[in-house]
Amino acid sequence: MNSTVMKKTMYFFALPALLFYCVFWIFPIFKLFQYSITDYNGYAQSFNYVGLSNYKELFSGSTLGNSIGNTLMYTLVSVVVGNLIGLGLALLLNQNIRGKGFYRSISYIPTLFSAIVVGFIWSYVYMPDSGMIASLLRMVGIPIDNLNFLGSYSSALYSIIFVEIWKNIGITMIIFLAGLQTIPNDLLEAGRIDGAGKWKLFRNVTLPLLATSVTINITLSIINGLKAFDFPFIMTNGGPGDSTNTLVYSIYKMAFTEQLFGKASALGVISFFIIIVITIIAVLTMNKKEVSA
Amino acid sequence: MRKGTKRLTGLMMAGMMLLLSACGGGGGESATSAAGGEGGGASAEPITLTMMVSGTKAPDGQDFVIDILPKLVKEKFPNVTLETSKLPDEQYMTSIRTKLASGQGPDFFWVFPRNASLGVLDMAKAGYAADLSDLEFWDKISEGAKEDMSYEGKPYGVAGGLDYLGVYYNKALFEQAGITELPKDWPAFLEASQKLKDAGITPITLADKDPWFIQFGMYQVAANMVYPDEMDFDTKLQAGEKSLSDPKWIATIERFKELYDNGYVVKNSLGLGSAQAAQMFVDGQAAMIFDGTWDYATLTGKGASEFERGFFALPANDPGKPTYISAATAAGFALNAKSENLDTAKEVMNYMFDGESELFKAWVDSNNSISVYEGVPLNNELFKEVNDSYLKDKNSVYFPNQMWPTGVAEEMEAKFAGIIGGQGITPEQVAEAMDKKFKELWKP
Repeated sequence: MNSTVMKKTMYFFALPALLFYCVFWIFPIFKLFQYSITDYNGYAQSFNYVGLSNYKELFSGSTLGNSIGNTLMYTLVSVVVGNLIGLGLALLLNQNIRGKGFYRSISYIPTLFSAIVVGFIWSYVYMPDSGMIASLLRMVGIPIDNLNFLGSYSSALYSIIFVEIWKNIGITMIIFLAGLQTIPNDLLEAGRIDGAGKWKLFRNVTLPLLATSVTINITLSIINGLKAFDFPFIMTNGGPGDSTNTLVYSIYKMAFTEQLFGKASALGVISFFIIIVITIIAVLTMNKKEVSA
Repeated sequence: MRKGTKRLTGLMMAGMMLLLSACGGGGGESATSAAGGEGGGASAEPITLTMMVSGTKAPDGQDFVIDILPKLVKEKFPNVTLETSKLPDEQYMTSIRTKLASGQGPDFFWVFPRNASLGVLDMAKAGYAADLSDLEFWDKISEGAKEDMSYEGKPYGVAGGLDYLGVYYNKALFEQAGITELPKDWPAFLEASQKLKDAGITPITLADKDPWFIQFGMYQVAANMVYPDEMDFDTKLQAGEKSLSDPKWIATIERFKELYDNGYVVKNSLGLGSAQAAQMFVDGQAAMIFDGTWDYATLTGKGASEFERGFFALPANDPGKPTYISAATAAGFALNAKSENLDTAKEVMNYMFDGESELFKAWVDSNNSISVYEGVPLNNELFKEVNDSYLKDKNSVYFPNQMWPTGVAEEMEAKFAGIIGGQGITPEQVAEAMDKKFKELWKP
């Protein structure tokens, strides 16, 4: 039967792409499941199947709990704070202020740098004694003796989360900004005529109509947070101790430093499910709240 | 519109074909060169050898592996083209394992002694490193260095030399604090540190933000606490007769911890990276730094302050006992057992280590480690005292992690960071965590 839109034979043209996709994406994922029940060390081709002992070890050890805890904290803070700041910025830059194009560009700049560059620069900003923050505080005359952002157990995680937020704020803001532009002015006007104040307008008109942007932003930052790797890798090596070990960083360390590819694969499989479950819950909850203009 | 789409699809297909054929072409090319190599080194057929090592690149045009080696090999073997690359340690470790595992390993690569990460034992056992017993220069390499690169009695790597761990110190600051004599035992070392501290000088700078830096102090203490009366501690450990939670290791960790407890190590060391800690030393802001001979260039570089450097082995020994030096064989070259051009690669090695060729001289000049090759003089005057004592007294211990599976040292670093960071971790807990990790990872 001849389709009016496209000949069936045209589907063959999708084959090469599909093939690449399967070979380089789908197949390795299944391979991961296979490796997770072996003692593969990453380079020697002879390995044994060890059943579920990798999983057992993970559940009885401290790495899993610690890295899940860190990852969830990382995600929570970066989602909440990142989106609040992003929304605030977007609201500010949506107003008719002089040079708003300039400000919009400025706040998008951090996003353009690679995470490696950003992490490297920030580790100098955070450096004790002679880093940028320390130098600034010294100029103002604030004592800096105990300033050790990346080297202290209590602050290291939050310090790298801050950098994550700083880097991604541009994307969050742009999405909110785009959302704000789609809100019809007549709705806002109608609200004003009905006597709604600024907060009420925001709460009852702007925010519900922004729901799509909120969903996108929160989903993006959740995924971003759950797969956090770059900043712990560049700025702290997971340290001090293991206080900034995230799930993905632990996988990396286990696979490439300890040469426990099998166990790392098992951790990968576990993270895979954690990320999927959290994302699905988040998206489903938020989808229910969306309205359209 | 329809037509346009069709044309676009056609174009894309053509592009894809081109791409595929390009890939195919590349594959074919490498196959020919591999086939060409089967004739061995004697034939004049062009051969391409590849080499991958780890480390930091020297300035343009002066790097031994990148610039000098390929040129000199070409001069001696006109038909051999050597393609070399150098990666930072971490990237090298990841990339070389992947390459070896996928059968794309370079002909020459860099291995580490014994059981260290990417150690010669692992590489030989997995069948990636070639047996080098038939190279011609073994009688000129020190027995210990050969042994550290051997598996089941056969050498699989050529050590680059010998490395010491020690204390680089600032002679001017020592004088300023009134330290007239170098400390010979632990109480004296603590006393000297106290003098520095009292004089308002930061005694020691360490880069604990880079976790591996913790090893530089810890192993020197261990050399004096764990091994002197039990040199086979690690053999017993591997046999399951000893454990890392042994009182000796706990005492080692406690002793190293004293430096932090007394405030001798720079505050906020957990926030300092290795480059930053080295800068502090070079700028004269701290009197000592624990580091290895391999960082000679960095630590003798120009800084904000001009001063004379000294180097001694950390005297972690009790009074009346000799100081043991942490000394270990440096990393070196191995050959790929699966290389098509193994024979040619061996010829290149024989030429490189013949003791007289241009290539050998260039290698000696570029090498920062203490030579283990017969008749090569000490390269840096700074290490003379420690080196003399090493040769004379023979009191030395290798770096313990060379006998551990990879991952144990990392566990030690992570847990000890908890002590530095005031997380309420005890030396016993550090030792127990190390032992647990060892038992998880050790596969005889």
